[in-house]
Amino acid sequence: MIKLYDYELSANCYKQRLMMSLLDVPYESVPIDFFPGLEHKTDEFKKINPLGHIPVINDDGYVLWDAHAILVYLAAKYDPSGHWYPIRDPALLGETASWLLFAEGTTNTASAARLYVNLSYDFDIEACRAGAHRLFRMLDEHLWFREREGLNWVCSASHPTIADIAIFPDVVLSEEGGVSRLDYPALRRWTDRVKALPGFSIMPGIFPMGTS
Amino acid sequence: MTDPTTLTDPTTLTDPTTLTDPTTLWHPVATMLDLPHRHIFHGQLLGREVAIWRADDEFINVWENRCLHRGVRLSIGTNDGTELTCRYHGWRYSNRSAGCTYIPAHPADAPARTICNRTFAAVEKYGLVWSGEDPIGKPPIVAALDDGTPFTLRNLPVNAPSQVVLDQLRQHRFQPVASLDANTARMTATEVNDYAIALTSTALTSTETDTTESSTAVFFVQPVDSDRSIIRAVLTEVPAQVEQLGVLRHHATALGKLVIAAETAAAQLPPPEPMVATINQVSLALSVMPEPMLDRQAPLRVQVARKWITAQDIVGFELVSVGDPLPTFQPGAHLDVHLPNGLVRQYSLTNGPGDTSSYRIGVKLEADSTGGSQCLHNTVREGDVLAISEPRNNFPLRRDSLRTVLVAGGIGVTPMLAMAQALKPMGLAFELHYFAQADEHLAFEEIRSELGDAVTTHVGLSPDETGAELARLLDGYGHANQVYICGPGPMLETARTIATAAGWPDQAVHFEYFKNTTEIDNSSSFEIALARSAVNLHVPPGKSILQILRDSGIAMPSSCEQGACGTCVVPVIEGKIDHQDVHLKQSERDAGDQIMTCVSRAAGDRLVLDI
Repeated sequence: MIKLYDYELSANCYKQRLMMSLLDVPYESVPIDFFPGLEHKTDEFKKINPLGHIPVINDDGYVLWDAHAILVYLAAKYDPSGHWYPIRDPALLGETASWLLFAEGTTNTASAARLYVNLSYDFDIEACRAGAHRLFRMLDEHLWFREREGLNWVCSASHPTIADIAIFPDVVLSEEGGVSRLDYPALRRWTDRVKALPGFSIMPGIFPMGTS
Repeated sequence: MTDPTTLTDPTTLTDPTTLTDPTTLWHPVATMLDLPHRHIFHGQLLGREVAIWRADDEFINVWENRCLHRGVRLSIGTNDGTELTCRYHGWRYSNRSAGCTYIPAHPADAPARTICNRTFAAVEKYGLVWSGEDPIGKPPIVAALDDGTPFTLRNLPVNAPSQVVLDQLRQHRFQPVASLDANTARMTATEVNDYAIALTSTALTSTETDTTESSTAVFFVQPVDSDRSIIRAVLTEVPAQVEQLGVLRHHATALGKLVIAAETAAAQLPPPEPMVATINQVSLALSVMPEPMLDRQAPLRVQVARKWITAQDIVGFELVSVGDPLPTFQPGAHLDVHLPNGLVRQYSLTNGPGDTSSYRIGVKLEADSTGGSQCLHNTVREGDVLAISEPRNNFPLRRDSLRTVLVAGGIGVTPMLAMAQALKPMGLAFELHYFAQADEHLAFEEIRSELGDAVTTHVGLSPDETGAELARLLDGYGHANQVYICGPGPMLETARTIATAAGWPDQAVHFEYFKNTTEIDNSSSFEIALARSAVNLHVPPGKSILQILRDSGIAMPSSCEQGACGTCVVPVIEGKIDHQDVHLKQSERDAGDQIMTCVSRAAGDRLVLDI
């Protein structure tokens, strides 16, 4: 079974949990005392990931780190439909890769602001928030036009890709970092659609859809 | 295109003191595209956050974005199509009225009527949703949009005061639909009001008489806060399908540049004071102590909008308000209907949750009618105005059960229909068993068909067969099961006996009688001591406690006045009670701490009442 070196409140770890839940892949969560224990910075943990960060997976001896890299691996290996990481569609694959890089931006701004507020990380908070708003404004416009084209997801496909999963937690947790989504209605509608996916899973701060 | 380096000269801005008070105006707060099925839109106007949601009946709710319990934003709650539920502790608020209908921490109680969220007017026009703090009249009329076919462009948020945005819009340029790629159009501006401007773009190639190559857009600026705005633009004509995306992108690009210019300009100005939304007290009508109820009150006036035969001897009435919107109700609630002949009768609402567009009741013509049902059947007609009480709920529904059994006999189906419609959208397991003499007696087919398989009809059973069927239905009580029964007295007695025998605890068996058929024995005489009022009164034979209290000037609410509805209840401190009502459960009777003052009496010489 896949082992996920995991921290409950980490948006990047949640990306893996959500992906495996959507793909219905069983996994074992290995809790890391990220805060306040800084277990990921210990010599012990650096034997697993010398870069000293999580998430990390160990799939039957194959070890991989970096949130978005793990998403690539999980989708490529465990999604028989080939939708989540569209290997057989070069144009869509390129688009997916491009939005994965965009997700690095939202992680480094919106999610960084959340680390500043929740875990007292030493970031330039105003720069994080301004950067998050700049990206959200672009993404809101992008998704608004997608809707006009009858498309629901970040990439131009009728189905979601790992790009949606990579961006979703940074967006939906942004209020914790003081980044309001009031100005981004298309972004809010898209988060509703992600929540409606079969197999969707939650984490503290991310609520389910609907009543039942 | 707007030159982003063009800065606003503060002296050219409209002096804010000359502007119309924005709280009296209608402003756009969302586009219709922002309200997809079951979504809750998060908006803001004049510094106040609002939650905007469209119910399944298409009603658009604009509410203060704040749960009345702990202040959590309602926009992160859930919209189940009829009610909005707060994410935090599950308080449920009704579509339209915004009254609280259910508090999970108090599952057996009806919420207080003062728990009613603040609502704001909402009107749909030009593809936009309009609202306001205290708007006067109607949303602005723009002839070009009325004459055309409005086409909503993408809205753009701007971190700039609305007047800075309008100043930039006066210099805004875009191209007519027919020549998007050029950059030579002639622009003309028409001021609409303090918060809107119409711009027409005409291609240079067109002549005065040929305006085919011109496009007009109206730009409404929503004042979100003192330093933030949203541009909501509407084209006066819908472009051809193939051109639409190009037109939308053209305007998004042009306005995107304007946004940067406006934000750059705003950054040069001193930051304005933020707007502070006032938090109002709950409305006077809700907050004041009820007027002394020396008699049964009928504060609402309703008109019979529809009267229809829903089954043999059963007539449905649809009642619409002739004044303010109808108040919130909860499933199980009833109304007092004051009839033209002076009688007062109680009828349960059949409405589904969140539906206060009208109240709908069912009236059975009673063979032994003393004038109530006869009057409604034969005298009251469509268009007539009736006086009714506010909905009162003495039969509250728990919405935390694992299984709810609803048992209806005859016209007793009416409160059960309201309950079933409330449970269904919540995904709670329920079954409605509807007993009737014959198929033609089955009422409200239109509601039952919506409930589908959850409804079972039991037609033409003898009393014994009914008992056997009830025994089968109530066999096996389980944790968090509840049964609600409404029907004729004998059937109700049977059902209660069977439920008790099958192990249903008293607290899980809820019932409502149509009427109290007990022969009331009012021959006793006794004293009552009113502990809080320090008053002693004598109740002689032939008079009820309720009458004596009222005769002594003590305000008392009441409804059926025959011991069935539970409205005139009073707490008892001391003394044995001669219960003659059919409202209290056996366990409540045994507790001996409450009395239905309209029919019940002292079993001894004296009762001490907690009033």
